[in-house]
Amino acid sequence: MGHLYTAREKYTSEQLEVMKSKYTPPELVCCAGSREIVDREVVFVGIGISDLAGAIAKLVHTPNVILVAEAGYIGFASVAVLISPADNAAGTMAMCHQSLPEVFIDQQSGFIDVAYLGFAQMDKHGNVNVSYITGKPLKMNGSGGGGDIASSAGRVVYTVEFNPRHWVNKVDYMTEPGFLDGGHGARKRANLVGGGPSAVATDRGVFRFDPETQELYLADVFPWQDEKDVEEVRKGFPWDLKVSEGLKIMEPPTERELWALRLMDSSKNYILANVMDRPIGKFILAGKLDLEGYDQYLGMQEKALREILQSVS
Amino acid sequence: METAIRGLKTIDYEERARDAEYKKKLNKVMTEKEAVETFLHDGDSFCMGGFVMWRQPESIMREIARQRKKNLSLIDESGTFEGIDLLVEVGILDRIDTAYAITRQVGGISGTPALERGLKEGVPRPVEAGGVMVTPKDKVKSGVPPLKIVDWTNFQVALRLVAGAFNVPFMPCRSSIGTDIPKYNKEIKEITDPYENKPLLLIPAYKPDVAFISVQRADRRGNGQIWGFKGVDYWKARAARHVVLLTEELVPTAKIYENPGLTVIPAYCTDAVVHLPFNCLPTGCFGYYTVDSMNFIFYLLQRQNRDGALKWLDDWVFGCRNHFEYCDKLGWEKLDRLAKSEHELNKIPD
Repeated sequence: MGHLYTAREKYTSEQLEVMKSKYTPPELVCCAGSREIVDREVVFVGIGISDLAGAIAKLVHTPNVILVAEAGYIGFASVAVLISPADNAAGTMAMCHQSLPEVFIDQQSGFIDVAYLGFAQMDKHGNVNVSYITGKPLKMNGSGGGGDIASSAGRVVYTVEFNPRHWVNKVDYMTEPGFLDGGHGARKRANLVGGGPSAVATDRGVFRFDPETQELYLADVFPWQDEKDVEEVRKGFPWDLKVSEGLKIMEPPTERELWALRLMDSSKNYILANVMDRPIGKFILAGKLDLEGYDQYLGMQEKALREILQSVS
Repeated sequence: METAIRGLKTIDYEERARDAEYKKKLNKVMTEKEAVETFLHDGDSFCMGGFVMWRQPESIMREIARQRKKNLSLIDESGTFEGIDLLVEVGILDRIDTAYAITRQVGGISGTPALERGLKEGVPRPVEAGGVMVTPKDKVKSGVPPLKIVDWTNFQVALRLVAGAFNVPFMPCRSSIGTDIPKYNKEIKEITDPYENKPLLLIPAYKPDVAFISVQRADRRGNGQIWGFKGVDYWKARAARHVVLLTEELVPTAKIYENPGLTVIPAYCTDAVVHLPFNCLPTGCFGYYTVDSMNFIFYLLQRQNRDGALKWLDDWVFGCRNHFEYCDKLGWEKLDRLAKSEHELNKIPD
């Protein structure tokens, strides 16, 4: 892990502390995730964080990507963070309005290069559960299009805030196929067309899969992550997580990335976990559901939209 | 003839001829109440158009609840759970074929409070989800059949309707081979395909009894035009036996001729046209009005417990005789404000 020393030679420990305190976990996840795309790729985005990562990619890194939302919106400008794949914002400045089966047919035919997804449980071979956890309170949405995307997209970039709860030896329910049993060519044998997961972007580093063993390993870390931090990350896994010998030090989120993120989600809807802390929750708590409240709330949203529209057009 | 798999059947010209009295009419305009009374019967299956939070005929959910229908089945990709959950609260769904598990979250509050109550407490009905989660035995009152939730992916739910529209018993697909979805959902069959000798999943057809589809424009004959995403509506309109269009605008057929490329649903599919502005609320309608997010969250907050949910139903569903009374209660000025907001992004040309 020689690289970690290089990072500390470049910055003083005080500088690293200040740097670290500047970013929230979702910001780190979105920015790290946004760097996984190559320009001109066709990119399937979901909602919330996985949409924000795609939006940053389009606005900052890879302007010629074609963003796809499963309700049938193709090649949109990304003018607001999506609350649904059917959002009006995904229909604005779009290249094509089509249908949901067409999007998945296109994916099964190999037109979707990369997709962003979130997850609740993952095993060492990238198999994912977003459906059921046995014996615990459930807080999961189910497959939606995730099962299709993980089966058929060219590759999948998972974006998630790091939490040891996510990593398990065996998922309680396999909603989305990763590398299945990890055996060589397991996905091909199963006749899945997609390439499987390629990266898991978190606020505690980016994880990738060993092409030989199809096993998850820690590949990239942020500059402030020292040996102690990496050890703590490893302890979050129920298996002996491997760390890349050539562990890479990532650039922290850049000004441009953060500009794009804050532009897209100025109300912090995806940074604030609780709806009652968000602007809408505050309006409701204040009992402002009358015309005046609507006017203020919608006016606020419209102002944010106009700012984005100016930046993208 | 219907087989053991819900929704799987084949339709022939004889059967179509029986529906000619609706499908061949030159004026199919009726009220929402009449449409639900005429086409949706106890024990029927149905689907609705649109996709999560957008262009979903939510007013129909409230009308179905008002008419106290019984033992209905719903097929839906991952629709707006707020509307589906109100039907669960009233206890009139027997089965949902869908791609979501059970517990949708909206920023820390439950998006499916009735489903969660059903699962934990058996109220109003016990729940059996995906062959994995069931209501504990001691919470299940005898004689109350469970609400069954059958697990698919979005593409698979769509393919059920595509196969229905094709009038063939199944569509093959490559999604979710090797996962637990086909393991627990026994209606999915894994085969070795006879051409390439490789594994493939077969997804059975679903022909709902009724499809309720919200469109931006329709004429009295039932040509439905859609702007924005199309979701699965194209296929739903062809898979369902009866199709009810809920339209923001009722236009002369001459207006349809101006943009025939936008007619997603041709008149021969349609049985009824309901002219019902703002019928998608609290979801949005592309080019017409944005999502009523305030009420969406407010509704869910009120329905987090059973007492609150029953009161909400009294206020917003049973307390309104029809959709327009619901709009009166919301206040038309607010609805116009939602329309103004949508026009910042998308506006449909006259």
